[in-house]
Amino acid sequence: MMSHVKIYLTCLRTSFSQAAAYRADFLMSNLITLLSNILFPLATILIYTNGAEFTGWSMWEVLLIQSVFSMSSGVATMVCSSILWVTMDHVRQGSFETVLLKPISPLFFILSAHFDTSGIGLFAGGLTLTIISSVHVGVVAFGNVVQFLILFLAGLIVLCGLDLVMAAISFRWVGNSRIPEIFDSMKEFGKYPLVIFPKGVRIVASFVIPVAMVGFFPASALLGKIGAWTFLSVIPCVLFLIFGVWIYNRMIKLYEGVGG
Amino acid sequence: MVIIKVVNLVKSYTTYKRGSGFKETVKSFFRRTPVPVRAVDDISFEIEKGSICGILGPNGAGKSTTIKMLCGALYPTSGSVKVMDYSPARDRAKYVRKIGAVFGQKSQLIWDIPPIDSFAMNKAIYGISNEDYEQRLKEMVRMFDVEEVIHKPTRVLSLGERMKCEFIMAMLHKPEIVFLDEPTIGLDVIAKTKIREVINEMNRQGTTFILTTHDLEDVEQLAEHVIIINHGKKVFDDNLSKLKSTLGNKKIVNLMLAKPYEGDSIAGALVIRRNNELDISLEVDLEKQNITDFMKTLTNHVDFKDISVKELPMDMIITRIYNE
Repeated sequence: MMSHVKIYLTCLRTSFSQAAAYRADFLMSNLITLLSNILFPLATILIYTNGAEFTGWSMWEVLLIQSVFSMSSGVATMVCSSILWVTMDHVRQGSFETVLLKPISPLFFILSAHFDTSGIGLFAGGLTLTIISSVHVGVVAFGNVVQFLILFLAGLIVLCGLDLVMAAISFRWVGNSRIPEIFDSMKEFGKYPLVIFPKGVRIVASFVIPVAMVGFFPASALLGKIGAWTFLSVIPCVLFLIFGVWIYNRMIKLYEGVGG
Repeated sequence: MVIIKVVNLVKSYTTYKRGSGFKETVKSFFRRTPVPVRAVDDISFEIEKGSICGILGPNGAGKSTTIKMLCGALYPTSGSVKVMDYSPARDRAKYVRKIGAVFGQKSQLIWDIPPIDSFAMNKAIYGISNEDYEQRLKEMVRMFDVEEVIHKPTRVLSLGERMKCEFIMAMLHKPEIVFLDEPTIGLDVIAKTKIREVINEMNRQGTTFILTTHDLEDVEQLAEHVIIINHGKKVFDDNLSKLKSTLGNKKIVNLMLAKPYEGDSIAGALVIRRNNELDISLEVDLEKQNITDFMKTLTNHVDFKDISVKELPMDMIITRIYNE
């Protein structure tokens, strides 16, 4: 276990060295992400300032959901989204053997060696808006924060699971650049109050591919708007991650490389 | 002692035939014709511990696929591979700790940062102690003469410098076996020579090397054991001297003639190459006549200004074996 921590920290340092190699790109990409996330809630603000609303949800409550979604996406980008594009890239170029030559799990190696610093801006933007929204919605109880943290973690697990499933597909369907877009569209359901969707979508987003955990459920926890049943959704999140790891490791066996 | 044992190894997969041109492209979009490929076709061989084995073959022969299966990166379709009692693909995590690999066309170094940072990452991954790491790095850096190079970003290094660093990356953890897939591809003579020197030095220290290459000089200067693969099948598996004598005891005689000669043979030797009407090469079969008799007959037949006698070149031997 300690050796894995050591490997992760060493690889993390290496990732930062890589990102710092192009300082202007590093700063600009994070600044642009930060700005786009601050500007992103404009649509929600416009809806509310024009008299429309998501029934039962105030503007700041909806903004809180969306800012938690951004925070969650930011952390997932930093920690686990590399598994998707690194795997896709290696499989397409036939260089996955350079990963398989490492005496550790390929999954762990890719996650360790490809910490994506572009998620920093996304996380910082989300955090800023979360704080601002929280201030506007009123005092948040300590118990709600604990519930939020549990559900936020579950949301990260879902995002990692999604990345793993998509990465696994790339072993079979080489160069499928459109697949991530389908999953990105699915994630969008976590960005809005779940009550606005039809019942079928709510069930899928809560228990099948639990994307509601990415923004809606943790934000609701902060607002004290969840029931005990919400925690049942943590189970499919964990199962989704386990499935992701299983399918990824299984699909590695299909790797064929390309001519040398 | 046998360190690698390969029995009836097969790797097959399916590709799809795609047409060229608009009509064919549209057609293949709706209906693709599967094409089964047997990249490695029932190959068996053994490699001795402490040896250097060269795997030769033309493009698409199955060399790289074979070496990837030996590294544990690809699962065989059938047959078995045993390396140091490991089944490479099945025991991958434990097995790869004991081996090193350099893929000439696929870098293990991180592009934007200096090789020294990539080495540090491998140190953590392989759990190399500080003392061992420092000692090994110092030794390898000295051997390759890359003291300054390892501190420059990989992207600014020349191909030769990068390959030397790839070698260090692959050998820091003291592997018992090192697999080299086209290790000298695209390198200049100086870089090739340095890499060959280091391979020989590491081999003297006990490391087993398996290399695939197109460069016959690599084989002549490094490998005592040669395996030739063509169309996925093994066509030769023996030592280098056996390879050289496989086409019989022959010599190549290069002649610079005093006046043009049009015939297909001279003094019982076949004309095998004409660079111009005066510069020709002959193949002398020493099983039919000895070199002294040939020289006597030759001087009676033609006038020449210059002559050199050489061994049958490796490329000629290999080409003939491929064609057979």
